[in-house]
Amino acid sequence: MMVNTGIIFFPAFDWSLGETHPEREERLLYTQEQIFEEGIMDFPQIKQYSPEVADIFDVLRTQAIFPDYRQHDLDAHLIAVGSSIILGKAIIEKELTNGFALIRPPGHHSGATVWGNRGFCTLNNEAILINTLRAKYGLKKLAIVDTDVHHGDGTQDIFYNDPNVLYISIHQDGRTLFPGTGFTEEKGGPNAWGTVINIPLVPGVGDEGFIYTFENWILPKLQEFQPEIIINSAGQDNHFTDPLASMNVSAQGYGKITELLKPDLAVLEGGYSIQGALPYVNMAILLALAGEDYSGVIEPQKLKNMEVSGEAFLSFIHDLKKHHDNVKPNWIFRKEKYFPSGDWVYGEKDIFYDTHWFRERRKDYVRKCNHCGGTVLMLSQNLETYEKGLVIRIPFEACETCEQAGYDLFDALKEREKNIFLQNLKNNKVIWRIGNGEVNFG
Amino acid sequence: MGYKIGIDVGGTFTDTVLIQNNEVIKKGKVLTDPKNILNTVLEAFDFLEIPPSMPLDHITVSTTLVTNAILLNKLSKVNLILFPGSGVRLSSFNWPVKYSVLSGELDYRGREVLPPDKREWKELTQRLSSHSENPLVAIVSKFSHRNNIFETELKAYLENEIPNVHIALGSEWGKSNFYRRSLTTYLNLACTELFSNFRCNLKKAVISRGFNGPIRILKADGGVFPLERIRPVESIYSGPAASILGALAQSEPEESFIVVDIGGTTTDIGLVLGGSPLLSFKGAQIDNFLTHIRSLATRSITVGGDSTIINRNGEIIISNYRTGPAYCMGGNSPTPTDAMRYLNYIKIGSYQKAEEALAELLPENERQALTIRTLAESIIEQMVEKIILAIKQLLTEWKNEPAYKVWEVLHQNLDYKFNIYLSGGPAAGLAKTFENKMKTRAIISNWAPISNAVGAAMAKPTFSWTLNLDTSLAKYRIEETGEQGAWKGAKRPYREVEKFLVDISKEQALEMGIDFDSFKIEPFEYFPLVDNHRTIGQIVRGSVHLPPGVIGRIL
Repeated sequence: MMVNTGIIFFPAFDWSLGETHPEREERLLYTQEQIFEEGIMDFPQIKQYSPEVADIFDVLRTQAIFPDYRQHDLDAHLIAVGSSIILGKAIIEKELTNGFALIRPPGHHSGATVWGNRGFCTLNNEAILINTLRAKYGLKKLAIVDTDVHHGDGTQDIFYNDPNVLYISIHQDGRTLFPGTGFTEEKGGPNAWGTVINIPLVPGVGDEGFIYTFENWILPKLQEFQPEIIINSAGQDNHFTDPLASMNVSAQGYGKITELLKPDLAVLEGGYSIQGALPYVNMAILLALAGEDYSGVIEPQKLKNMEVSGEAFLSFIHDLKKHHDNVKPNWIFRKEKYFPSGDWVYGEKDIFYDTHWFRERRKDYVRKCNHCGGTVLMLSQNLETYEKGLVIRIPFEACETCEQAGYDLFDALKEREKNIFLQNLKNNKVIWRIGNGEVNFG
Repeated sequence: MGYKIGIDVGGTFTDTVLIQNNEVIKKGKVLTDPKNILNTVLEAFDFLEIPPSMPLDHITVSTTLVTNAILLNKLSKVNLILFPGSGVRLSSFNWPVKYSVLSGELDYRGREVLPPDKREWKELTQRLSSHSENPLVAIVSKFSHRNNIFETELKAYLENEIPNVHIALGSEWGKSNFYRRSLTTYLNLACTELFSNFRCNLKKAVISRGFNGPIRILKADGGVFPLERIRPVESIYSGPAASILGALAQSEPEESFIVVDIGGTTTDIGLVLGGSPLLSFKGAQIDNFLTHIRSLATRSITVGGDSTIINRNGEIIISNYRTGPAYCMGGNSPTPTDAMRYLNYIKIGSYQKAEEALAELLPENERQALTIRTLAESIIEQMVEKIILAIKQLLTEWKNEPAYKVWEVLHQNLDYKFNIYLSGGPAAGLAKTFENKMKTRAIISNWAPISNAVGAAMAKPTFSWTLNLDTSLAKYRIEETGEQGAWKGAKRPYREVEKFLVDISKEQALEMGIDFDSFKIEPFEYFPLVDNHRTIGQIVRGSVHLPPGVIGRIL
């Protein structure tokens, strides 16, 4: 079969989080040198697209930006989102077989509520894309496979209560790496139990361990879920030269993973070995997507022999899977006086914004529902400024009771709270109530 | 101001024009002899009947010499030697020529990963000298635009071993893209002998007619370059460039427009944005060769005034070939020109013949005046629609140009109001239809029939100097000239880099014999290089251009 692979290369050469910050201008410079010198853009099956700025409505449908989205510098992030959306649309419209959004800045640490940049991310490229495709094309089942070495806690946060989005993250164990989440016990909310799968690996498993896990755990899960589209959050920090992590994967290993997963769209996430890894890993992924031979991609540095392999790995991964399969939920039910009828599952967490060192506290309530994903209420507070922000989310394909519950909550809260987002995904509408005014999107 | 001569060699006719003080003094056309382009150029020159005493500024020639040689595969044999290193397999590309491979590898900053194997070089020498005493050799290494060491070392080695070897290096075409650099280096070397002969004979012939002034050759990027200094392969596709320059010479300085040059068999389309011709963001493709040759963004489609019209099972179709002139001009088959003549959009050619040609396309019982008229109109519509489709593709290509900076994405200006400039023989017959369909003004200049020659005569020289400076490795490279040198300046330079590049450009322009008056500096890019949380240097990229343009506007 002839493949058509779309690429948007948006290195944001004039944007950084600080001169010596890992997320700086230089990050994709050598990737550009490598990919352009290799002439990959001249392959007949490769089509280069130009980046675009995303519509803010597409963002706010998925992420509530506090206290006011206009106070954040979103330009570069909106282009990264917009670029992902261009490729996603071209794939759904069958213009392309698959695509690679080779973009900066990344997004998978950015969650449902946003007070700033964390883990180098402000907007969640993949999540915004997924919900945009659902709103525009009516897609029902979608999957994200996150191969960044860090747990994609932002993406997990956004889809935790969504039974129609399968989120699988394979990463280095959160006890040894930022953001410190992504354990096997995190399997989804009350209406979406089992649609979040976390595979925290011990350091050093290498190509062999990754490929085994894909073949024996991730691919069967995808087969079972039958998504209409698979997005790969393609972080490149599993590479053996990565300065922050230690998973020991090679560029060819990334090529193989891509070949196995066959994502519809790969979106670049992290990866900060900008000389040792990125030029080679990006090339291997792109070649694998385009159906070309990537066996010639060889990084100049040689792999250090420190792999956890053979029997040791097999027993580790079997124990992990067994543990994952045996985890049972333990819901806490709680509600406030003004809540509409039904059982509400409560959860709370603190989210650390490492870029500017502050915390957000989140208290979430999900309406337990046998018919839909359930309406969600998120109470968010910035623990540095004590500003508050609320989100009421009515899910895609919400049942009538849950949709009504969302509006009832909005009515009950709008007099007493100053900053509320009502995200009605079912009707593709967002209402932002700020002070006494309301802004309507959609 | 002295006199300027413009000569544009086309497929069928060669246009020629004499201009003084922005006025056309004399113009004409001669038949092109594709087998003898030199004679054609000289005939066009002689047609102008210039007295030897006339003060000539320059003669500019736009020629299909190299284009034809490539398309007809009349090139010299070149040995292509590659240092591909690792990465994408060479077999992943379609190679229109043979190559041989040597070991050795550089990385993206030009650092050596694997040294070459000198034993292979010895074998190579034997192979090259066994086939020819004066072999042509093109040597290209991956990342040679960042470090030409393998190329220059092998060159020195071969020149020592084979005294009459003639060598070209990939780093002389120093843009990234190993595949294109290889093919461009190959093509240029392969047409060097052919072009040298043309150069010598043209120079001699012109001198024998009493002129000693500069001869300039038009390039695909719409600029001219001295005959002595042009790299032969850069003279391809100068025809479409000439028509865009021709329109530019007849337009207002800040105007935006689409150039449509309609010939006998092909129509060329180009784009001018606010007075600047749009350059293609990729190099030109010729035959199966993807190259680094800078060219104006153009579209060529095979439809023209002499395209043969056929009746395929009752459907009237404009074919993509020509069998001769239009029927109304004494040809054998019906053409769009016959439709234009019948509708009185043009006045040359026989009206009766045109009517006859169109009637032939209809069943005998339908050959009434009204039906013929409808047919003629539908032919014109079909032709214009084909051209408009190509215009739309070109506009899409322009709008989809990649951007690599936030600033570029936020400041994309797509808000132009386009006129249409029509040139070429059949232009007059199509203007109305274009205006109706595109809802914009269609302009036919006074000099439309010889617009290309005007464009050649009025074109300015073009060149670019693109700097890649790596202060951490203390090296700089100029992509277009292949110059690579040591950087002795600061680790973290700022504005002085711009001056550094402008000084190099100025000096080299002088040496190449081109004016360096209206240069443009692209915003420089500065990449701080960080190692272990410390800034250890900078990569700086920037460029200075002499963009395409015209010396003056024709009155």
